[in-house]
Amino acid sequence: MPTDQNFLTISNASFAYPDGVEAVSTVAWSIPAGAVHCLVGRSGCGKTTLLKLAAGLLQPTGGAVRMLGAQVQGPSRKVGFVFQSPSLLEWRTVLDNVLLPISLHRPVTTADQDVAAELLELVGIQEHTNRYPRQLSGGQQSRAALARALITEPAGLLMDEPFAALDAITREELQDDLLQLAALRQTTVLFVTHDIGEAVYLADKVAVMDAGRIAFQADVALPRPRNQTQRYSTAFNAACLDLRHAMAPSRRDVA
Amino acid sequence: MTRTSLLSLALFIALLLLWEAFVRVTGISALVIPAPSAVLSVLWDGLTVGFLWPHIWVTAVETLLGFGLGCVIGFAAGVMLGEIEFLRRLLWPYVLASQVVPKLALGPIFIVWFGFGMTSTIVITALICFFPLLENTLTGLQSVPPDKRDLFRMLGASRWQTLLRLKIPSGLPVIMAGVRVAIVLALVGAVVGEFIGGDAGLGASIIAAQGMMDSALMFALFIVITALGMLFYQLTILLERRVLSGWTKGQNQ
Repeated sequence: MPTDQNFLTISNASFAYPDGVEAVSTVAWSIPAGAVHCLVGRSGCGKTTLLKLAAGLLQPTGGAVRMLGAQVQGPSRKVGFVFQSPSLLEWRTVLDNVLLPISLHRPVTTADQDVAAELLELVGIQEHTNRYPRQLSGGQQSRAALARALITEPAGLLMDEPFAALDAITREELQDDLLQLAALRQTTVLFVTHDIGEAVYLADKVAVMDAGRIAFQADVALPRPRNQTQRYSTAFNAACLDLRHAMAPSRRDVA
Repeated sequence: MTRTSLLSLALFIALLLLWEAFVRVTGISALVIPAPSAVLSVLWDGLTVGFLWPHIWVTAVETLLGFGLGCVIGFAAGVMLGEIEFLRRLLWPYVLASQVVPKLALGPIFIVWFGFGMTSTIVITALICFFPLLENTLTGLQSVPPDKRDLFRMLGASRWQTLLRLKIPSGLPVIMAGVRVAIVLALVGAVVGEFIGGDAGLGASIIAAQGMMDSALMFALFIVITALGMLFYQLTILLERRVLSGWTKGQNQ
């Protein structure tokens, strides 16, 4: 077996739905451990399907997906998945929600509760520990979902437009928190979004998906740690413009 | 008390007075419409002398037993059909067909099977409660958002855990709505069941009062049945609030 330095390797993976519609066609992509990669594209371009292939929620109909050198056969607890909606259980407290990945497999210990409390503090919602999800704002719910994904200290995070429903300022705060948390534990992140600015801000490398294929890819050479003032720099805007062209090649003149 | 609830109480008293005046002025036969005063005096006698209590007891027991039985079986069947796709496809046409069958029309055959008395009535009541629970449980279990299903798959939850910790709690508001429908239907089932084959209870008493042409007693029984229904309904609302405390806590924000 060849050694694999990458966290995730997608080799010519395809996925067709039972009705024959191919959502992902022969995509090759790899993510080195500790890197943050963003996948951008318009609605229906296949980016969520690709993410679900990486997660093992879907099995490729062609090609293969490997994680840490092993073929992905099904959902793995080595990665955390953050969904489009916070997907918190409304009938459990924030703390219970964050501890869910543990409580499904073994009794929760006081050490686990300490880790959860620490995570809630890191994402800035420690004062809501014992409240219920519906008592929280959208941003706070997203923070709780992020804490839940991190409680098992996964090697990787797969994120499906998790901040799309939030207002601009809250979204920027969460992007910063995510980068900080990922850097803290060298977590590999694959982040799907339709927001060009978000992709450039977060990523080491971005890929544009169109009609199930990777249409464009580029490294983002902005210095780390990122900060919000970088958003207004020339380099940042140039990177955004490249992506913008790649996403809508037929309308190159809009810029 | 708020202004509107005072007004609606005033309206109730006004209607009673109007009714009383109408009966006295027209001198209409007490057999057709008894005066409220006559109804209340029969009701008072029935409650103080005590001849109504055994009947209230019988009807209450039939309602609650039938309700409990119907809810438990309906819930269990709903979970089975919700979890086992093959069973759902196999049985769905029958479930639909049995929805349309007027359950009370089955009363006479239940009397043949279970005899006159409480058993037949309880079985009819249970049958009536079964369907709202079956349908709401099925709907509740299937209404889990796809993201949450995927979440439980990602977390490596077993099928049993997904059922107990995601699907049932997630569907609980819908299931509890079914319970609320069932308790109202249960009382109707018990009373009508007694019409057909009861030898005791409020429904049987209505038939007996009809036989004696005692309209005032019939009206008194309507009042008792209504009060019993409201009591059961309020208890169900209390139960629902208790069961759904996590959800409601988020909403009164």
